[in-house]
Amino acid sequence: MNVDISGVTRRFGRHLAVAGVDLETGPGVFGLLGPNGAGKTTLLRMMATVITPSAGTLRLLGRDPGSYGPRRELRRRLGYLPQNFGYYPGFTVAEFVEYFALLKEMPPARIPAAVTAAVERVDLGGKARAKLRTLSGGMLRRAGIAQAIVNEPELLLLDEPTAGLDPEQRVAFRALLRGLGEQATVVVSTHLVEDVGAACTEVALMDAGKIVFHGTPAELTARGQGARAAGDAPLERGYGAVLAEVRS
Amino acid sequence: MTPAVISLRSGRATARRMASLAAAGRLLRLELKRNAMPYVLPLLAAVFFFDTVRTADGFPPVWTVRASVIGDHMLFEFSAFAGGIAAWAGSRERRRKALDLVASTPRAAWARLSVTLAGTLGWLLLAFLAGVAAIYIPTALQASWGGPPLWPVLAGVAGVIAVTMIGFTCGVAVPGRFTGPLVAIGVLVLYQAGFREALGLTASPASSGTFALLSPAGAVPSVDAGVYHHVAPDVSAVQVMFMGGIAVALLGVLGLAAALRQPAAADSLRSLRALLAGGDDWLLRAVAVVLVAAGVAASWTAYSLAGTARLTATGWQIPALHDAASDRPVPFIPDCTSGPRGFKVCVHPAFSGYLSEVATALDPVAAEIAGLPGAPVRAEQVASTGTWPSGYGPSRTAGNPPVFQYSGEQVGDLFGVFWGIPAGDWPDWRAGFQQGLLDSFLTGPPHPAAAARTGPAPLGAAQQAVEDGLMIAAGSQPPLRIGQRDHPGGQITAAASRFASLPASARHAWLAAHLPALRAGTITAAQIP
Repeated sequence: MNVDISGVTRRFGRHLAVAGVDLETGPGVFGLLGPNGAGKTTLLRMMATVITPSAGTLRLLGRDPGSYGPRRELRRRLGYLPQNFGYYPGFTVAEFVEYFALLKEMPPARIPAAVTAAVERVDLGGKARAKLRTLSGGMLRRAGIAQAIVNEPELLLLDEPTAGLDPEQRVAFRALLRGLGEQATVVVSTHLVEDVGAACTEVALMDAGKIVFHGTPAELTARGQGARAAGDAPLERGYGAVLAEVRS
Repeated sequence: MTPAVISLRSGRATARRMASLAAAGRLLRLELKRNAMPYVLPLLAAVFFFDTVRTADGFPPVWTVRASVIGDHMLFEFSAFAGGIAAWAGSRERRRKALDLVASTPRAAWARLSVTLAGTLGWLLLAFLAGVAAIYIPTALQASWGGPPLWPVLAGVAGVIAVTMIGFTCGVAVPGRFTGPLVAIGVLVLYQAGFREALGLTASPASSGTFALLSPAGAVPSVDAGVYHHVAPDVSAVQVMFMGGIAVALLGVLGLAAALRQPAAADSLRSLRALLAGGDDWLLRAVAVVLVAAGVAASWTAYSLAGTARLTATGWQIPALHDAASDRPVPFIPDCTSGPRGFKVCVHPAFSGYLSEVATALDPVAAEIAGLPGAPVRAEQVASTGTWPSGYGPSRTAGNPPVFQYSGEQVGDLFGVFWGIPAGDWPDWRAGFQQGLLDSFLTGPPHPAAAARTGPAPLGAAQQAVEDGLMIAAGSQPPLRIGQRDHPGGQITAAASRFASLPASARHAWLAAHLPALRAGTITAAQIP
């Protein structure tokens, strides 16, 4: 298992953001669904080794991120796009991606080709020399994805990656996700259910810090059949049905 | 292990080191390329030109005096910019909300921040050294003696590094868009306080503390510094040690802060403890603690050494650092010339540029008294007899045969020639210089005990009238002496006019006959022909 999470809890003061989550997943695209405030971003930040859990254990890519050496090895194999994607407006797209390739301790000789490839994969080849301050929101998001995939990560964590993308870009992005999921474990946190249906092989639904559903998109869709949950699409009805069941 | 295995491992380690260096180099290149410093360079250059360069241009081309602008003006301007820009760079990750992103990468936060710091510092030091070149290159073209002093540059570099570290650490600790401007203002206030302390120290050494000596700012040094005597590097060395210590300690603080500022640390005390225990590599934390300890020790040592400083005739000395060799006078061969009437004048080679001005000023009055008892046979520049920085000491006539001695300040400092005012545009300079020669001639040799400090005694009315008459005869307008000269048409003025209107031979003959009585004060102004 590339992701092995057991009893993970995270508190912020008195607030319990993640409450005893257990999760296992291997290669493929894993969708993390849930309403705002469900704890998706906190769980992803723990998986990205940005914050430590208050309780429980994480093993990512077979390593314990609580120890310095394994954490460093893990981070070399990690790609992460935070929900609030901070960027340096004076950098060009290529420089920004190169900067993160260097921070990820990639071999310097490999970096130029890797940067070009990553920028091309997110369809920003024509904007490689444009400064980030000149890009639209969708382009910035794609630049963020480029920095996340520049090291060909074995574990890719994307928090709301399709926010700000237009429909055409979202379709292209889903194709990119499927491609990435063939070799790596991709965890996508989103509240856009259609992204999950189109790209994910596995899905978990979080609510109030807990995982309330874990299965395939088809299984989630099935939960909505016959239920009176709101939603235009079958997957949305499954999503609504699970949440309604948990909250009732 | 076989030699082949050892060789293979050694080769891999070398390759890793090379790759790490190459990566650091590329990160530094990005930081240099995208640093905010180039955007403020034009403003810094303008401030530097209008303050530092123009001030230096007004100083005589004497290396020590010109170099004093590095501490007094240049560092003041650079500190404000360095503090502000460094704070801006240090706050970047949080200000741009990129902390989560960079925190998920394997490169240690300390290393990452150090590269950002190095990019900012690289620009600042480059600009600082370019500024030093802008002062030193014209000085090299104008100076007739000596070479560029390096200690003020070292102290300046240490000051820029220390202020950059302070600004950067503030930026990391308190990130925000206003941190940069606030740090810049804070540095200006701090520097002004240091400057005032330094000036207070020079005016009243006994009542000042050691803080002032640690500030690179200070008063303009005597023009004799580095000319007649070496400038002891004691105080500069202490300043470098003090500011270097601050910089090293803050680098260590940055290493520790990098662990403390992880997002989890802010959440609770428990998380903070967890981070301290298992945040970054223990070796990095140990190095950071050692740096903090070493920096504090260096700064404290410098502070203690400054407390032992003592003021001497040539400036401040710190016994523990002082090299007795620097107390020896600087050997030189004077530059000499003779005026149209044959009066020989010598200056220190550092002041060769003023030789003809001095000779032109002294030659006519020297001719008026030539051959009379006590009249100087030549004039030569000597080191100031006063104690720096309280006074220069007067010019005087001493020795046998008599020689008129004057200091560098009398050549130009007091009368404006050093400060860029041509002697021809400043008649009082010429008159004052001539007056110095005549004063010591007309009052006779001073009492040995008083000679060094007080110079010639004040002139009586008859002596004053003769001096004014000789100056008028030499083509100069006698400068006003408060409390000694009477109103136009008064007794002294009338006697001076009468004396000046005599033929030169008559004046000379009268002086030859009445000089002892004139010096003794037994002749009245009315008795002057």
